[in-house]
Amino acid sequence: MMISAGIDMGTQRVKVAIIKDKQIIAQSQNFSGFEPAKVAEQTLKEALESAKLSREDIEHITATGAGVNMASFADSTISMMGADAKAGAYYFPSARTIMDVGAEDARAVKCDENGVMMDFVVNARCAAGAGTFIEAMARALEVEMNDMGSLSLNAERASPINASCVIFAESDVVSLIHREEPKSEIARAIFDAMAERVSSMVNRLGVTPDVVLIGGVAKDVGFVASLKRRLGIDILIPEEPIYAGAVGAALVAAKRAKRRH
Amino acid sequence: MLEIVAETLRATIAVGLILAGILAILIWVKNLTRKLSAMRLFIQIVSVAVIFLGLIIGPFGLDQWAYLGTAPRDIVVGTNILGSPYPDGLTVPTFSCYYASGRTATCVVWQLQSYLFPDYATSNVYLTTGIERLAIATGFLVIFSLIFGRFLCGWICPFGLYMDLLTRLRKALKIKHWTLSERTNEMLKQSRYLIIAAFLILSFILGMNAIAGIELVSESELGRYLEIPFCQVCPAKPLFVLVESGLGYMDIDYALSRTIGDFALTGWYLTSINIVILGIVTVGSFMVRRLWCRICPLGGLIAIFSRFGPFKRLSPIKITKVEEKCTKCGICKRVCPPQVTDVYEEKGGDVTVSDCILCFRCVEMCPYEGCLKVEVAGKPIYKSKNWLNEEE
Amino acid sequence: MASKIEKEPKYIPEMAQSEIDELNKSIKAASIKVIEDNIERMKKTWKNRPKAMEYFDEISNLFGKRAKELEEQKAAGKKIIGYSCIFAPIELILAADAIPVRVGSGWYDTAKLGDRIMPVEICPVIRSTVGAKMVSLSPYLELSDAIVIPLTCDGRTKLSEMLSDFKPIWYMNPPRVKDDTHTLDMWKKEILVIKEKIEKLTGNKITRQKLKEAIEKMQQATKAFRRLQELRKGAPVINGRDAMLVNQTSLWDDIERWTQKVNELCDELEKRVEQKDYSSYPDTPRVMITGTPMIWPDSWKVPNLIEESNPQGVVVVDEQCSSDRILYDPVGVDEWNMSDMLNAISERYIMACTCPCFTSEHGNEDRINWIIDRIKEYKVDGVIYYVVRGCILYAMEYARIKKVLDKMGIPVYYLDTEYTREDVGQMKTRVEAFLEMLEARIDI
Repeated sequence: MMISAGIDMGTQRVKVAIIKDKQIIAQSQNFSGFEPAKVAEQTLKEALESAKLSREDIEHITATGAGVNMASFADSTISMMGADAKAGAYYFPSARTIMDVGAEDARAVKCDENGVMMDFVVNARCAAGAGTFIEAMARALEVEMNDMGSLSLNAERASPINASCVIFAESDVVSLIHREEPKSEIARAIFDAMAERVSSMVNRLGVTPDVVLIGGVAKDVGFVASLKRRLGIDILIPEEPIYAGAVGAALVAAKRAKRRH
Repeated sequence: MLEIVAETLRATIAVGLILAGILAILIWVKNLTRKLSAMRLFIQIVSVAVIFLGLIIGPFGLDQWAYLGTAPRDIVVGTNILGSPYPDGLTVPTFSCYYASGRTATCVVWQLQSYLFPDYATSNVYLTTGIERLAIATGFLVIFSLIFGRFLCGWICPFGLYMDLLTRLRKALKIKHWTLSERTNEMLKQSRYLIIAAFLILSFILGMNAIAGIELVSESELGRYLEIPFCQVCPAKPLFVLVESGLGYMDIDYALSRTIGDFALTGWYLTSINIVILGIVTVGSFMVRRLWCRICPLGGLIAIFSRFGPFKRLSPIKITKVEEKCTKCGICKRVCPPQVTDVYEEKGGDVTVSDCILCFRCVEMCPYEGCLKVEVAGKPIYKSKNWLNEEE
Repeated sequence: MASKIEKEPKYIPEMAQSEIDELNKSIKAASIKVIEDNIERMKKTWKNRPKAMEYFDEISNLFGKRAKELEEQKAAGKKIIGYSCIFAPIELILAADAIPVRVGSGWYDTAKLGDRIMPVEICPVIRSTVGAKMVSLSPYLELSDAIVIPLTCDGRTKLSEMLSDFKPIWYMNPPRVKDDTHTLDMWKKEILVIKEKIEKLTGNKITRQKLKEAIEKMQQATKAFRRLQELRKGAPVINGRDAMLVNQTSLWDDIERWTQKVNELCDELEKRVEQKDYSSYPDTPRVMITGTPMIWPDSWKVPNLIEESNPQGVVVVDEQCSSDRILYDPVGVDEWNMSDMLNAISERYIMACTCPCFTSEHGNEDRINWIIDRIKEYKVDGVIYYVVRGCILYAMEYARIKKVLDKMGIPVYYLDTEYTREDVGQMKTRVEAFLEMLEARIDI
């Protein structure tokens, strides 16, 4: 019996996953806020509570994510791409291309059947291909972010939109609303633009099926529909994609703990 | 009695010199692997000594007809091949000129021309028919070409040595060489086959009388000498005759007597055409490295049997190149004496071509470890090195 | 200076002397700090750094010892000839008793000054060099009596124009196609023109003997360089950053002294090979860098990242005109006469070069061959393709190199950056992920 934990220090949320013999036994998440180090401790504590474990039961903790240095209690670290590859192969052993669209960045990783990363691309320069974009657009459209996905599914076509940049897109959306374009079409245009960015990134890597989408944005049905349309292939999504990074880190932790034995 | 003493002395000195030279070179080569050119020069000198060994050991003032003597060279020259006497000397495809009295080997170009017509068949010198001799000469040509290829040109040929010495003289005088344009070079390369064709056809026509009884050229002595047309224009003939005469191994008066008068144009030893061509080639190869090699029909013949068709695959000596190690710096192209560009241009693998004289200067000068290699029967025996380490 | 240029500069805006002085002072101070910081970091990674490296640390100070030496030599009447790119024939400069020194700049702070006259899309090396001129920062550029600028890329073409207001500029026009029959003729003419200009400026005739000595001097430098490179083929006894620094100092140091110091360093390192005293663990992922030149001191951020990252990587070789390409090729002379020496110099500076400014039917194959050979010789695990924004030629060749490396099964990562320190955090994530990947592959 081996218990290990992974902690994903995302830009928006801190996620923790605890696994026991390759089974996820607990997951928890919190907004990172202004003191991510404290939040990290807190999130881990919550996860431990839900799994009815104590800190000593965990043999190894591996941290990942943009704020990886904040998790000072972690035993080791792994890059986000490495964690993505591990998680993707864990959820779907047939996965070869894993896309991770988070709050502020998007990544794509190629991996082999063991979840070893073979190649990767990162889009970290611009938020127009990540979750924050949806958030900003939902604000402009004055709809709930979670509703935007289902809203866009009703649209037959997409409105023309300049989506090269979050700021410009926002003013575009405002002028479209003034022209009384249906909100659903605007929403679809937003998702299409985002899918365009993500797919152009993943195309640089080359799309090898099966394709897995993880990260917080993977829950958004509108985005997933647009991305499927854009790539023209089916996309596998785990049940709780937001924890993928943490799960990947926990798997790495398990491997590292085993190596120590 | 006195003659025997003199001969012995001369022979001792000659053999001693050669042995000392070999020893010196061996020591030198062991320490400085980059001195391949020096080794080549030495081997060239040794080969010339071997080819004209009779020069040193044989008797003085030999008459052209004095074949079957007791001197060591006669034993070599008067070989028995397949049970047939083969009195003109062993066929070696280099300019081991027939006309020089002391040779132990004979230039294949002379043999091919003269054996094309069998009118010597009944003479007391030849006991074999012309066809047999032609077959033996061709056989030797093919075997030598196949085994050594144009290695013979770079390392053995006496006329090649002459040109290399001229180049060394020019280098010592710090005079820059002329570079022929690639087009001119290509033209010269093509023309050597024209020359081969021309002299073979010409000697066939001139020998028609002997072959078919049709008299195209009157059966005079002049006609008979014309039956060997290439040798009447070859630059090597007067060179070796002059050198031998100068050294006293040939009777210069005899040579001259055969040149002036009736034979002024096409005589036995020195002809005006020969000397003019020798002059041109001498000046030319002083300025242009290995000029004659680019046009040499003998080189062309060797190339036919070593670099074309099925022979190419069988020929064991090759220069190979590793593509990735080459930076295309162009040194190999610049240092090549006959200006072969293929070593530079070819991407990799076997880069030996018909105009390459296998002197391996490119391999020696290539500054990239293991980029160029000399392979014999697939085994690398010499490769390019980071020669900076040896340049002291 | 004999002739102060009176006319108004064509590009560079007028700046108050007080502003120039202030900027000069602050950027210089910042730069010295970066240099010290880089050295400190190198020492930190490589605890047991050999004593022989101290010399290179000293000479790496762009405002220190070497600048003073040049000043003294200039006062003594020697001419200093700057060059912007390694296409410039160093042997000819040395043969005329002049001092060659590289003037391209790698200061991030001056790149911001360059932004005043150029859009940020322009190659930062150019912006930085012009910026350095605006505040008279670079001692080498200021001391140069003339600058050789080979017009290898668009940036350098206009750079020459911008600098022409301040210094005599000697343009060199390299042919862009290497395999044409007339390429060498064209380039040789350029070399001859430069030779004449050097002779005219210095008043010294380049004689056969002098040129021979200069060639031999550079051959000795190449020999020392190759000796150092040979040491990098095995388990790491020298870290990549340190070797890169050694290589780059050859661009401004006295070449004979540099040769001697490199040989001293090699003596020490060769002993360490025997003692198995490595600079990094022998199983550290071996990285090759290719792409845009990394110019000391600010561009050290990338090798710093690679060699300080967790997991750590070690740069065993690179394909950059700022390091491993500088001295790799010797001038190979067949006949020591003037004509052949000049031919050899012409060939060495253009034919052996793997700059992406060349093109042909087969493309810039020499560069691909170089990379393949290095990967095999140095047992490279992965390649980092480093490109600064605006370096079009290197950026464009990436796709082809990637294809070749994919076929070989060597991972390659395209690391694009700018002349800025802000993106270090982002790059760190990517570099770490790449090294992690290499490590995982080694484990398999």
